[in-house]
Amino acid sequence: MKWLNLLKGNIRKEYIELKRYLPNTIAMLLTFYIIFLGMFAGIQIVGDPNTADANIQYVIVNYVFWFLAIIVVQDIGWQLQIEATQGTLEQLSMSPMGIWKIMLMRLISTVLVNFLIIIALLYLSMLTTGQWLNVDVVALAPIFILTIMSMIGLGFIIAGMSIVLKQVQAFLQILQFILAGLTFVPVSVAPVLAFLPIVKGVDLVRSVMIDGTSLLGIGFGDFMILVFNAIFYFVIGFIFFLYCERVAMKKGLLAHY
Amino acid sequence: MEPIIKIQNLKKSYKKRKAKEVIQAVKGISFSVNRGEILGLLGPNGAGKSTTIKMICGLVKPDAGTILIDGINNQDKRLKALNHISAVLEGNRNIYWRLTVRENLEYFAGNRGASRKEVAEEVASLLEKFRLKEKENELVNRLSRGMQQKLAIAVAMLANTDVILLDEPTLGLDVETSYEVRELLRSVASEYNRTIIISSHDMDVIQDICERTVIINNGQVVTDDKVENLLRLFEVRAYKIALGGLLTERQLLLLEQKFPHYTYIPDTFQSSLEVDLEKSEEIYDLFDILKLESTVVESIDRKSINFEQIFIKIVKGEAEHEMAQSS
Ligand SMILES: Nc1ncnc2c1ncn2[C@@H]1O[C@H](COP(=O)(O)OP(=O)(O)O)[C@@H](O)[C@H]1O
Ligand SMILES: [Mg+2]
Repeated sequence: MKWLNLLKGNIRKEYIELKRYLPNTIAMLLTFYIIFLGMFAGIQIVGDPNTADANIQYVIVNYVFWFLAIIVVQDIGWQLQIEATQGTLEQLSMSPMGIWKIMLMRLISTVLVNFLIIIALLYLSMLTTGQWLNVDVVALAPIFILTIMSMIGLGFIIAGMSIVLKQVQAFLQILQFILAGLTFVPVSVAPVLAFLPIVKGVDLVRSVMIDGTSLLGIGFGDFMILVFNAIFYFVIGFIFFLYCERVAMKKGLLAHY
Repeated sequence: MEPIIKIQNLKKSYKKRKAKEVIQAVKGISFSVNRGEILGLLGPNGAGKSTTIKMICGLVKPDAGTILIDGINNQDKRLKALNHISAVLEGNRNIYWRLTVRENLEYFAGNRGASRKEVAEEVASLLEKFRLKEKENELVNRLSRGMQQKLAIAVAMLANTDVILLDEPTLGLDVETSYEVRELLRSVASEYNRTIIISSHDMDVIQDICERTVIINNGQVVTDDKVENLLRLFEVRAYKIALGGLLTERQLLLLEQKFPHYTYIPDTFQSSLEVDLEKSEEIYDLFDILKLESTVVESIDRKSINFEQIFIKIVKGEAEHEMAQSS
C-alpha cells in the first residue's frame, strides 16, 4: 500500500508539472518535431530514393526511443541537481521509505506519464511521413518493458552520479549524444553492441515495427539477451545508486551546505 | 524516563574538496533529549549545529559515536529510525517552489507512504493552524519567506513523528515573522506534545521557545542546562558596584589579576565597576581589594544579564560553567 501511495504521489507530481508548465512541455515537443522534420527532409533530399522508406522508418523508431531515453535517463539527473541545490533532496532522503524507492517510483512515473506523449509523437511522425509502422502491441509490450528496465538502471546510475558529483551538468549535456548513439547504432555494426543498454531493445522494436516480426518470430537467443540486459543494468544501476547514497552520507552531500 | 534521543560521543570531519585539509565539524558531542521536551541547540556559526542535526536525521554519517532514537541505532536501522524523525533544515528550501502549498503537503506525505485520503484531515487542520488556508492553492514561489517557512514546518508536522528538528527556523525572517514563527512553534509544542529540537545562533530564539539548551562551540558541548538556570546562575555572579571615587593603580592591577574581565568606568565623583564572579566567595576578594585603599562603596547591585551576554561569555570561554545536571 505504501508503495502504491508513493507511486501515486509521484505520478501526480509529474503530471501536475507537465500541465502547469504546458508551454515548456509544448516547446519540448515542438523541438522534437522540428528536428524530426529536418531529418525527414534530409533523407528525402540527399538520401538514396531506393532506401528512403526504410531510412525514414528507421529514424522514426530510433528517434522516438531516443526521446524516451532522454526523458527517463537524463531527466532524473537534472531533477536531482536542482533538488540538491533547492534542499528538497534532503527532505526526500529523510523519508523512511528510503531514497531508492522514491527514485524508482519517480522513474516509473516518468515513463507512465510520458508514455502518452511518446505515443502521440509516434503517430505524429507516422502521419507526417506517411510511413505506417507495424504497431504490434503483443510483441512490443514485453520488449518495451524490458528495455525500460535497463533504461531505469541507467537512470539510477545517472541519479547516483548527480548526487555525488556536483559538476555533473557538462556530463548530462553529453549524455544525450551517448543516448543517441545507443538508440541509433544498429546491432549489425558489431554483435557485441547488443550487450550495451537499450541497443538490443531498439533493435528488436525495429524488427517488429519495420520488418513485421511477431513475438514468436523473435529468436529465443535475442530475447534472452534482452532479459539479461534488463536485469543486469537494473541491478548494476541499483547497486551503484546505493553506493552513491552511502558516499553522499559520508561526505554530507545529501543535505544542502 | 528513557530519553527519546540519546547521542554519545558523536564525531564528524569533512574533507575539503581538492585541498587536503580536514575540518573537524563535530568533536565528540553527547547529550540526551527527553520525550516532550523542547531543546535548543545554541552556538555561533560554524559551531557544528547543522552537522549534528543532519547526523540525527540520518543525512550525514558520523565518523564515530552513536545516536539512539527511541532506542533505535540510526546507523544500523536508518529507515526504522527515520519513522520517528522529521526535520526542517536550514533556509526554508525544503519545499517545491513549483507546487502549491497543498500539493507540497500531499507530495511529501506520499513520499512517506501515505495517501492523500489518509492525511486529508491532518492537512486541513495544519492549514488552519498555520494560517495557510487561504493560500493553499498558491504556488510556493509566490509566498513570502515567512509563509514558506511555515509551510516547511507544516510538512514536517504532517509526518506525525515523535521528534521534529528545526535548523535555524527563524533565519532570514523579518522581526515580525520571526515572532509569528516562534509563537507557532510554542503552541505546536504544547498542543501536539512533540519533542522539538531547535538550533539557532540567535539566543533570543532559544530563550523564547526552549526549556533547556545545549550550547555548542567549536564542535563541542560547552553547556547543557535549563535556560532559567543559566539566567539565574549568571545573575548571581555579575555585580555592579558604585564607588565614591577612583581606584588606584595598585587596585586596578590586583583586579586585573583576580577578575580579568572586569569593566571599570572611572569618575572622580562616582566610578562604576562591574565584575563577574566565578564563585560567590570571590566577593570577599573583591572587597579585600577595595579595602586596601579604603575605597567607599556606595552601592552594590546584581547586574541584570541577558541570555545573549551569557552566551557570549560561555562561547568566548570567559566563564567556565560546569555542566549542570538538568533534570
Ligand atoms: N558538507 C560539508 N562539507 C565540508 N565542510 C562542511 C560541510 N558541512 C559543514 N561543513 C563545515 O563544518 C563546520 C560546521 O558547520 P555546521 O555544522 O554547518 O555549523 P553550524 O550549523 O553550527 O553553523 C563549518 O566549518 C562548515 O564550514
Ligand atoms: Mg547551521
